[in-house]
Amino acid sequence: MPSYLSRPLTVLGLLFLSHACYSAYEHSTLLTPSPQSSTIASTSTSSPPTASLPLDISLETIISVIMICVGLVVGAEELKPIMWRVWAGKVERESGGGGPFQGLEDRLGFVDIRAKRKEFADWVRDQDNDKK
Amino acid sequence: MSLSSSLRHSNSEALSLSQQSTQYLQKHTSTGTSTIPIAFISYPESTELWLMYEKLLLSCLRTGDDKAAHLCIEKLIDRFGATNERVMGLRGLYQEAVAKDDAALGRILHEYDEVLAEDPVNTPVAKRRIALLQSLSRTTDAIDALTELLESSPTDIEAWTELSDLYLSQSLFPQAIFCLEEVLLVVPSAWNIHARLGEVLYVSATSGNESADGKTLAEAMRRFCRSIELCDDYLRGYYGLKMTTDRLLSAFPDNSKAAGQIMSTDNGELPMPSTATVRRLNEKATSKLAEITRRTTDRGYNYAEVVAAKELLDKSTQTKQR
Repeated sequence: MPSYLSRPLTVLGLLFLSHACYSAYEHSTLLTPSPQSSTIASTSTSSPPTASLPLDISLETIISVIMICVGLVVGAEELKPIMWRVWAGKVERESGGGGPFQGLEDRLGFVDIRAKRKEFADWVRDQDNDKK
Repeated sequence: MSLSSSLRHSNSEALSLSQQSTQYLQKHTSTGTSTIPIAFISYPESTELWLMYEKLLLSCLRTGDDKAAHLCIEKLIDRFGATNERVMGLRGLYQEAVAKDDAALGRILHEYDEVLAEDPVNTPVAKRRIALLQSLSRTTDAIDALTELLESSPTDIEAWTELSDLYLSQSLFPQAIFCLEEVLLVVPSAWNIHARLGEVLYVSATSGNESADGKTLAEAMRRFCRSIELCDDYLRGYYGLKMTTDRLLSAFPDNSKAAGQIMSTDNGELPMPSTATVRRLNEKATSKLAEITRRTTDRGYNYAEVVAAKELLDKSTQTKQR
C-alpha cells in the first residue's frame, strides 16, 4: 500500500471512531428512562435497562480502529536494518569504505604526519603539472 | 594488497577541509578565549566542537597550513590545559610537522622521553613517540616501544593493529597475524579487520617459497568468508576470496579426498576445504564481483577498488580462455 494513503486513512478512521462514540452516547441517552416514565419503569421491571449496543455501532468502532492502525503503520518511516550484515553493507557503501572500524586502519594516534605532508605536497605538484 | 587503503580522506578532501578552516576559526573565535560568560551561552560547548578542532588541526598540518594549525592547537591548550595527555600528543604532532631537520626531530624525541619518564602511562605521547621512531626508520625500536605499551594496556586495539603493520613491514608474518587475532578478540565483528587478516595470511602464504602453503591459504579463505558474512556486498572481501580460491585451485587442483584425511587430525585444526567447496566459493566471488563492477555508478564504492576488481576479473577470464 502506498504511503500517501496513510494520512487520509488515519483521518477517516478518526472520523468514524468519533462518529461511533457519538452514536453510542446518543443510544445510551435514548435508552435512559425519562423522569416521568421512571415510575412506570420501576413498577414494571426491577432491574435497570442494560440493553447492549446495536451491531452497527460496534462494527463501526472496530473497523475505524483497524483503519487508524493500518494508516499509522503504512505511514511509518522506512525501517532500519536490524541484521548486522545488512547494516554493515549499508554503512560501508554510504561512507565510501568507512564504517565504524575504519579508525583501526587509519590509526590517528600513530599518524606519520611528515609522510602525509610530503604526500600532499607531491600531490599538489602533480596537479599543477597536469594543469600545465 | 592493492585494496588496503591507508587514507580515508583523499588529498582533495583534505585540501577543501583546510581551506574552510580560516572561516571556521573566525566564526568560533569567541569560544574559549572570552572570559564573559555570555559567550558560553551563545556558543554551547560540545564534544563535536573539540573533535572538529582536532580534525582541522590534522588536515591543516597535512596541507601545510601551519598558521591555522597553530590557532587550533592554541585553542585546545586554552581549553584543556597544556598538561592534558591528549593535547600533549597533539602538540607533539604539530611540532613534528613543523620541524625543519632531523636535529629538531631528535629534540622532540628527547622531549617525549622526558614526558614518559615522568608519566609512563601517557598513552597519546607514547604513541607519538612510536610514530616518530617509525618515521625516522627506526622500526625495531618502534616495535620494542610498542610491545612495552601493549604490556601495560593489552586491550588497546589501535596499538595492536599498528604493531601488526610494523611486523608486516619486517616480513614477520606469524607475529603480524597474532596481533590481528588479538584485535579480533576485542572486536570480533570488525569486518575490515577480518579482511585485513585474510590479506596478511594470503601474503604470508604466497610470499615465502614457490609452493603456496595450503593450510594458511585455507585460513585466509575462511577469514574473507567471515568478512563477507559480516558485511553485505563487501568488495574487499570478495576480491580477497577470489584471489585465494584462484590460488588454492591452481595449487591444489585435486585434493578432495587425500588432503581431507590428512588434515582432519585431532589437534584442533580445521580440515582443508574440499575442492568442490573452493570451486563453488570461487564461482560465487566471481559472479558477485562482476555484479558489483557492473552497477558501480549508483552505489558508493571506492572507484579505485572497483577498477582493481575489474582488472582481476579480466585477468582470470584471460587465463581461463588460454
